[in-house]
Formats: sequence, C-alpha cells, structure tokens
Amino acid sequence: MNATAGATARDYFSLFQLEPDFALDETALERAYHALLTQFHPDRYAGKPQVEQRVAAQFCADINSGYRILSDEVSRAEYMLQQAGVDLVAAERVGVESTFLMTQISLREQLEELEPSDAAGRQSLTEEIEGHYAGSRDQFASTLATDARLDAARHWQEMCYLSKLLSEPKLRVS
Amino acid sequence: MVLLQIAEPGAAPEASTERQVGVGIDLGTTNSLIAHFDGNDLNVLTDDTGQASLPSVVYYGDSQTLVGADAERYASAEPGNTIASAKRMLGRSREEFEDDPYIQLTPGEGLAFATDAGTKTPVEVSAAILTALKDRAGPQLSGPISGAVITVPAYFDDAQRQATRQAAELAGIKVLRLLNEPTAAAVAYGLDEQAEESSVLAVYDLGGGTFDISLLRMRAGLFEVLSTGGDSALGGDDFDRALAVHLLDELSIDEPTVVQRRVALALARNAKERLSDKTSVDLDVSGLDTAASEVTVSRSTLEALLFPYIDRTLTACRQTLADANVDTVDRVVLVGGSTRTPAVRQAVTDCFGLEPLCNLDPDQVVAMGASRQADILVGNRQGDEALLLDVIPLSLGLETYGGLVERIVDRNSTIPVARAQEFTTARDGQTGLVVHVLQGERERVEDCRSLARFELTGIPPMVAGAARIEVTFQVDADGILAVSAVEQQTGARSDIVVKPAFGLDEAQITDMLKAGYEHASEDMLARQLGEALVEAEALLDGLLAAMTADGDLLSADETAALQSDMKNLETVMAANQPDDIRGATEILGNACEVFAARRMDRSIQKALQGVSLSQLESDVVEESTP
Repeated sequence: MNATAGATARDYFSLFQLEPDFALDETALERAYHALLTQFHPDRYAGKPQVEQRVAAQFCADINSGYRILSDEVSRAEYMLQQAGVDLVAAERVGVESTFLMTQISLREQLEELEPSDAAGRQSLTEEIEGHYAGSRDQFASTLATDARLDAARHWQEMCYLSKLLSEPKLRVS
Repeated sequence: MVLLQIAEPGAAPEASTERQVGVGIDLGTTNSLIAHFDGNDLNVLTDDTGQASLPSVVYYGDSQTLVGADAERYASAEPGNTIASAKRMLGRSREEFEDDPYIQLTPGEGLAFATDAGTKTPVEVSAAILTALKDRAGPQLSGPISGAVITVPAYFDDAQRQATRQAAELAGIKVLRLLNEPTAAAVAYGLDEQAEESSVLAVYDLGGGTFDISLLRMRAGLFEVLSTGGDSALGGDDFDRALAVHLLDELSIDEPTVVQRRVALALARNAKERLSDKTSVDLDVSGLDTAASEVTVSRSTLEALLFPYIDRTLTACRQTLADANVDTVDRVVLVGGSTRTPAVRQAVTDCFGLEPLCNLDPDQVVAMGASRQADILVGNRQGDEALLLDVIPLSLGLETYGGLVERIVDRNSTIPVARAQEFTTARDGQTGLVVHVLQGERERVEDCRSLARFELTGIPPMVAGAARIEVTFQVDADGILAVSAVEQQTGARSDIVVKPAFGLDEAQITDMLKAGYEHASEDMLARQLGEALVEAEALLDGLLAAMTADGDLLSADETAALQSDMKNLETVMAANQPDDIRGATEILGNACEVFAARRMDRSIQKALQGVSLSQLESDVVEESTP
C-alpha cells in the first residue's frame, strides 16, 4: 500500500552499483538496468502470489525512474544537485550569469532568423549550441566535484536551457 | 524465479511439474482469435468449420445468444440485436457515440446496447466473444487454460485497458498480461530472439477499427517500445463506411434506413476485399431496394476514397518517428487485415523506404505472438527469456487551477512507473482537495480524457499554500493506473485504483460473476475452491521458505504477526470456502509485502554480481563492484 515507499528515498547510483560520479559509464548503467529488470520485472511473477507481483511492480517503477534520471545528463545533473542538498528553486531565482544571458539571446536570435530550407545554417547552429552545451556540462562536472554547488547549479541551468534549445522543432531534421 | 524464493543467478531453474496451458488472444474490433504455443508448435485454434477468425459480433435474441459468423447472419434482419465492433466502445463514453447512426443505444445514462435479451454493455459483448474463444480451447488443448495474454492496441488508455480486463474477468479468463498488439506482432516474427545489434522496428497495424504505429528497439534479448502513436478510431471500418457512403450516393439514396446502411456496408466490405486482386468489380445492389441492380467500382475509385485515411496513418508514422527521435528504421512489420489493401502496402513501403515483412498472416500474427508470450508467462520456460518492456501510451496528469492539466507521467515512459508530485491548498482553512485525474497530451482539461475524480479529506485547516499534498501515480505492467494522495503532515490519505468511468464498476462485475456462480455447476465451484487453495498454498510455501532463508530481516514482533496470519489462513483453508480463503490469502499477502520488499533489496546485489562476472572478460568492471 505504501506507494511511495522507496520511490524517493533510494539512492539511484547505489541501486545500479555505480560510483556517484557525474561522468558515469553509460554502458555499465545500461547493463545494470537490464540485469535488474530481467530479474525483477513483474512478468517474471505472472503466475505467482499477488504480493510478489505488487512488490516487483513497485521495485521496477523505481528501477525505471532511476534509469530515466541517470541516463540523461541534464536530469542526472539535477538529481546530483538535489542529493547534495542544493535548493534548486532558490538557485533558479538567482539565475545564470549575464555573459550566458548574452549567449542565450544571440542563439535565440540566430534560431529565429534560421530559414527552414537552410540545412547548412541549421547544421552550424546546432554545432554551436552543442559546443556551448559541452562547455556548460564540463563546468558543471568540475564545479560539482570541487563542491562549488551554487556554481554547479548555475551550469546545470545552462545545460537545461541549451538542451531545450537543441530540441526545438526548427533544429530537428524533418 | 520466485520473489520469495530468490534463486542464485545462474542456478538451475526450478522445474515445472507439469506443462501449463497459456493462450494468446487477439480481441479485435472486427475479428478475434485465440492461439496456443506448446513449446514446439504454434496453433491458431479453429471452430467446428475450420475457421480461425471469429467475427467480433454478438447476437442477443430473445431466446439465444450467438457469437461470430452465426451472429453476423442476423445483422441485416435484426440490426439492433446484433452488436459488431464493440471494441471501439470499450471504456469510452456515451457522448462519443450518440451521433453514430450505426449504433442503437439504450436511452438514459451510460453506454449500452438495447437488445431483446436486455441491456448489454461493450464489456459484456467482449466477454461473450472471449468466452466463445475460450470454448474452442477445451476440445483442442491438453488441459484447461491456466492464463491468457490478451492484446490491446498500443493506443488504449487506462479506461480501455481496465475494460478489457473486466471482460476477461467476466469470461472467467485469468489475464497474465495485457500486451500491446504491435509488440505481439514483433514476437510472432521472432524478432525478439534475433541476436543482432540494436535495431529499430516499426509495426504498422491497420485493423478493422484501430490504427497503431509503434517503434520498437531490440537488442540482446531486450525488447523496448520507443514510442507509439496512431488513432483508436481509424481502420478498415472507415474504408468500408467511406465506400458505403459512396455507393449510397451513387444510387441517390439520400436518407438510408438502418437496414440499407447495413447492406451497403456489407457490399462495401466485400468490394474492398475483392479489389485487392482485381482492378474493378461489379456489385449486385438489389438488396438495397432501389431501381438499379448493379454498380461497378474500380480500384482507383476505392483508392481515392481511402487516400485521406491512409494519409492520416502516414502523418501518425512521421509523428511517432519524431517522438522517438529516430530517422530510419531497420524493419517494418505489417499487421491487420487492412494491410492487404495494395494501396496501403505501397504507401508504407514509400514512407519507410523499405519492403515490409508480411509473410505471416496479418490477421493472425498478433494472436501468434501473444501465445508465445503466454507460454513464457505461464511458467513453462524459465531462465533468461526475452523481456518485453512496454511504455505508457498517453500522458497522465491532474487538473490544476484555471482548467489546466499538470502532467505527472509523460507518455512513452517505460512501465511499470511511479511518479509523485506535491500540491498545496488554494484557500485558507481548506480541508479537502478534489483530485481529478486526466489522460492525454493536451493542455486543457476539456481536451483530455477524464479518468477519475476523488477527494482527499482530513487536511488540517492551514493557511493557503501550507498543506503539502503528495499525489502518486503508479502504473503497472499492463498500463493500469493507481493513484494515491497523502497530506504529508497528518498522513491523511486516499487511494484509488482508477476504475473506468465509462465501464462497469466493481459492484456490477461482482453481481454479474455472482449471477454466473448461481447457475454454476458443482464442477465450477470445485474449480474455484481448487484455485483458491493453490494460491494460498503457493503463498504459504513461499513465505515459509523465505522466513527460513532470510528470517533475520524480520523483527521478533513481525515474525510473530506473520505467523499468526499464516495460522489463520491454514485454519480457513480447512473450511473449504473459496471466498474466505481468498480473503485470508489477501490479508497474509498484504502483511508480508514489506518482507518481500526487503528480500528484494537484499537480492539486488546478487543480481548485479551475476552480470559483472559474465562481462569480466570483455569489459572493464566498475571499481565499486565488490
């Protein structure tokens, strides 16, 4: 009955037996995810007493959440900040630095001016955003490692913005 | 592998004493099928006349109920008593069908058909079809059915899945799993067992009443649904209707009677099927009561009529590719009788740029795949079998201020899934909160499907915004939702398994089942008792073994409490009352849930050790792995 039992309390890195490192080994994560699901998916308990099916379903929900969060860099960063006790709402109120704001405006303008038929322009803008994203991500990793949590939270916000920009329909190949 | 008797990875699986009979059922809009896989041979079961497809039609006359081709014969003479395509209405609301001239609804509330045998709901009609399929199994299989995998369109929402489960319950069929139809089709082609590199598969399923497009990724025995799309009200029936309307127009029948519509539909279906091989057909329209006796229809006329429908399927295909962020697919599988239409095949080939797989009968492929999965789930094959991972087809959310929907579980999340979100009160002193659960992709409440409303009461009066109410959505492996809401400071909580608002409620189901029991033979009661005893014994045995192995996970008090519940169950078992046994089993089951969860935690370590050892030679092992 305890729908939430364990759903938020579990440490996902230890669930998958990984070091709590932002630069995680994605192959190892995937392998552990599949190993856990293979053993604990409710289908494995289809003919078994209902309590087993229920517990397996709850546990798999946890495994799926953990995988979803850790397998994506932006959500993994957010999760690590939360685990480190950073108040994300407060961090978002502080926002990003003004130099990044300028980058934001420039990228947004370029996106707006992009003609749908301009494949080369789309390609180069995508690469530019990806470059900024990689920079923010690396800075996130190094600031988090040195416990500069507020700096890390700022770089995480940059990652959020840039990854959202990359998923803009205008940048996606039709 | 049993949760309460967790085996060492790599240890020999427990051997089943006897082979269990699992069946796969494709409960289709137009036709339904049942198939059985015995580990070697796959059989699609047939009726007395050798027909595999059972038309999903039920006739409710004043003296008899008929299913299939026998029922179809009454379609023209007694259209009101002959129910076809009931699957379209499973778990849906009356408002969605009120304007449909092909359906005769009962007056008043709810979605039901008025027949000479009384009011019949879509769930009951589906149950009648399932029962007819189940009856085929008796003479053709080695033993009684232990369980069934029933397929549903990937697009089915929570209410529709619940309604399907209810129909099975009414038919006395134990559901092992509701499986998405496209997933079943991929299993039928054995694509899940091919040990090739990660590859992407598109399943294009155009049946009588639903269109589904699914993208699946397969790798190393794992089978994952990347995204699904489609339209739960688009299919070959639309082709037939479009052609029927065209025929009626051609003959200048402006206000057709119900019978004329039926006849025109039957003619249209026949013409469409014949046009798969011919470029032009002549139809005998004397049954339509008009001056003309013959009408000629060409394939190009049909294709022009079909174009808008086929185009809608291609739009959905492109959307689904975009959702999964996939540019190319490696294979395409065709499912559903409507994919026999040449124009459909050509459109699919052009859209994906490759020839689709279609060597298995597109009408049977779903039931075939379901039967393979049923054989696994029923426990005949153990070890490292392929696992089918599914996703939830539509987002789930809650109503918030201003009629907006706050999304909590995104569509295409892998299930089972649980998500929690915190809400607060809007007014000072507010002591209750109405939780309105919705499913769909749109932002406004009126554009989404309302699944349930319930009220959380007992919130202590506080200033607005001070209460913290956590709402948790939990979706099981069948895609069925349970919601709970807890006020964090007082612990006030409400739980609800979301029941289809437009289906039957639990009490109605119980009444129907009871009505069945009253007429049930001694045999049936004995079977029920047997089933209850087996379930009780399985739980007792498992728990006993678990307590022996991992008793240290329980405190002395917890052990004593469990022992008391076990003793109670044993006492009840001696009295031979199925209901009591089921009740005591449930109590013990709930009581040992925490224990089972602790054992599961303990076994994670072992599960992962197995993996790292098997990967040692080729891969770098994480330093943290002990």
